[in-house]
Amino acid sequence: MTGAAAPALQLRGLSKRFGATVAVDRLDLDIPAGSFYGVVGPNGAGKTTTLSMATGLLRPDAGSVGVLGINLWSRPAEAKALLGVLPDGLHTFDRLTGAELISYAGRLRGLDRATVRARRDDLLAALDLADAASTLVMDYSAGMTKKIGLACALVHAPRVLVLDEPFEAVDPVSGAAIRHLLAGFVEAGGTVVLSSHVMALVERLCDRVAIVGGGRVLAAGTLDQVRAGASLEERFVAWVGGPQERDLAWLRRS
Amino acid sequence: MAAAVIGIRLRSQAHLLAREPWRAVILGLGLVWLLLMLPSLVWGRTALALQPGDIRADALVAVFTLVAVGWVVVPIATSGLDDTLDPARFRSLGVAAGRLMPGLAAGALLTIPAIATSVALAGLATSWAADGVGALAVALAGAVLTVACLVVGARVAAAWTADALSSSRSRLTTLVLAAVGVAALVPAAWQLHAQGLEAFIEVDADTLIHQLGLTPLGAGAAAPLALVAGDPLGVVWRLGMQAAWLALLLGAWRAIVDRALVAPPSIGTGTRRTRDEVLDPRPSLFAPRESAARAVRTRLRRAWRTDPRYLAMLAGAFILPALLGLVAVPGLGLDERWLYVCPLALAASSGWGRHNDVAYDSTAVWMDVTAGSLGPAVMRGRMSAALAWAAPSVAVVALAMLAVTGRWADAPGLLGACAGVMGLTLGISAVASVLVPYRVPAPGQSPFGAEVGSVGAGLLAQLASSAATLALVPLVLAPFILSLVVAPWWGAVALALGVVVGVGGYLGGVRLGGAAYDARAGALLAAVA
Repeated sequence: MTGAAAPALQLRGLSKRFGATVAVDRLDLDIPAGSFYGVVGPNGAGKTTTLSMATGLLRPDAGSVGVLGINLWSRPAEAKALLGVLPDGLHTFDRLTGAELISYAGRLRGLDRATVRARRDDLLAALDLADAASTLVMDYSAGMTKKIGLACALVHAPRVLVLDEPFEAVDPVSGAAIRHLLAGFVEAGGTVVLSSHVMALVERLCDRVAIVGGGRVLAAGTLDQVRAGASLEERFVAWVGGPQERDLAWLRRS
Repeated sequence: MAAAVIGIRLRSQAHLLAREPWRAVILGLGLVWLLLMLPSLVWGRTALALQPGDIRADALVAVFTLVAVGWVVVPIATSGLDDTLDPARFRSLGVAAGRLMPGLAAGALLTIPAIATSVALAGLATSWAADGVGALAVALAGAVLTVACLVVGARVAAAWTADALSSSRSRLTTLVLAAVGVAALVPAAWQLHAQGLEAFIEVDADTLIHQLGLTPLGAGAAAPLALVAGDPLGVVWRLGMQAAWLALLLGAWRAIVDRALVAPPSIGTGTRRTRDEVLDPRPSLFAPRESAARAVRTRLRRAWRTDPRYLAMLAGAFILPALLGLVAVPGLGLDERWLYVCPLALAASSGWGRHNDVAYDSTAVWMDVTAGSLGPAVMRGRMSAALAWAAPSVAVVALAMLAVTGRWADAPGLLGACAGVMGLTLGISAVASVLVPYRVPAPGQSPFGAEVGSVGAGLLAQLASSAATLALVPLVLAPFILSLVVAPWWGAVALALGVVVGVGGYLGGVRLGGAAYDARAGALLAAVA
């Protein structure tokens, strides 16, 4: 399977262990090209580890990753060229300005100066960062850092975007701009894979979803298939288990 | 509160050791080293006890002073200080600095270096036992006060140095002060050179040690002699001065903790740069043409100019050559040709010092890793950024030493040897920084923080890169040495060989390091995070 017929991401038997902890356990998942795919799961479910292995950041102990039919770990240069990545909770090269960081990402991808310059300015405007273009990224707020990271992921016009918690700390206005941008990306044939804890957001944006728990895929399919007539949150709780009931009476003043 | 803070430290350390057992091995080796030092300590204590009081006091003042200098310089130049109890970690708990301080102080004393120093200084102080209980008590009090000053002083020095490197204005001030300091050393070096070491020790060392005994560096060590000499007032003011110095240091540390508890996690500088230097880089030496390598070089050059962690490394690269040129060569009365070790040492420390270069990206390494298989370009960019400051610096120092000796015929050989040493060490570092990276302070953290066992992890990587350096560098040094001691025509050989080996080492390192980078791309983030 290659090219248009291949899934945007095909994960087969992915496993990763950290000491005694099994973070991802023989995980299989197909993410169709052209989909807006949500990956949800409780804390510690293995979402970030899975996405790290799917983007070349973490070598799996076992299993394979296909990006539009290209094996990521045996042909990394070709596969990574198709991917745009926004990890969560990692540093950026924050002594560059916002504009320079986008340029950096573009030049790393081998784009010529004129193309980088034009796309940099477009992205800064689209993400409402034009006024902060000359500011060092170390002076950015958390939301601005998230947006500049998204701009870096987009600058080389990838075919598949893998975004870990892309809306975290982003204000509502910028969130709307990002949603608009991502929806346009999918409409144009791109694929977006995002992880989030916000079920309402996933229901609103994604046409497909996977629930991950204990390092495995518990449910996957179209949004309607996974919801099965209930809300995504209800299905999520049903799959991963509800909260432990414990009465914190000491928190109540009277 | 103190017990709770110490409990946090011990539990954090236990969890870290359980999670990463190799740290326990390093810690165990540290304890073994400590035990192996005990016979030397006993021998030293016995030898001191047999000396007359004035000689014993002088020796102890010299030892206490050297240890004090080490406590300030070593954490800043190499090892860093254990930061398990970084006050910033208590920021969200709303605890006042005053309540934290006893726990922080006790925690700072519960480290292997602090315990080793305490045992050593207290052990040496017991050499006064034969002079009576009073002398022993004064000696132990002096040792305890000195150790406390060292531990607290190291914290203050590291915090102040980190501050000094954190903004452009304070960096400029630091640069000016460092220049003044070096300028002050030059006359002393000249004096040392003119007199020779033996004459210096005979004439000036006595005076120097006497003066040090009147300062907080050596007052604690000199106090017992005052008691034995029947000068109780001398004891009181010496120990009083040591205690007052400790109080001052504690006050300074308290101010640092106070600020750390309320300062935001990251203090921006508000700097704005209108020019996109990644897209429109300024023309410079050794700049690669390939877009990815050029971009990496530009960001690294920014880091070398503004990131306190890089500035600390930059300063570290110059320490050994400066000590060799200003202290060792004149002090030992060596032939002036020995001054050539200064540029050679700078070339080696500039190149070898990059053996953990990749780790300084911290988790931001994801940007380079996810952008493709860019290993060779990334390493070329990294190494050329280091070369941009190292090559001119080495050339300037080499020319300066040639000007001092006036032996311009040695120039080809010296420049060739420097080129060879720098290229080889940069090449070795390019490979080592990918194969054996070890964790360093993350961006925004103090450049002088360290985890438990990180010194050991660093030492293992340093030993590996040092072994490779020691095996290969003689290749380019031998012809240069022959040009100095056998026949001048070896200088031409040193020049040719140095250039060929240097360029070959550099390019080979970039290529091998780049290949290793791509092969280890899926492990680098975990290795440096």
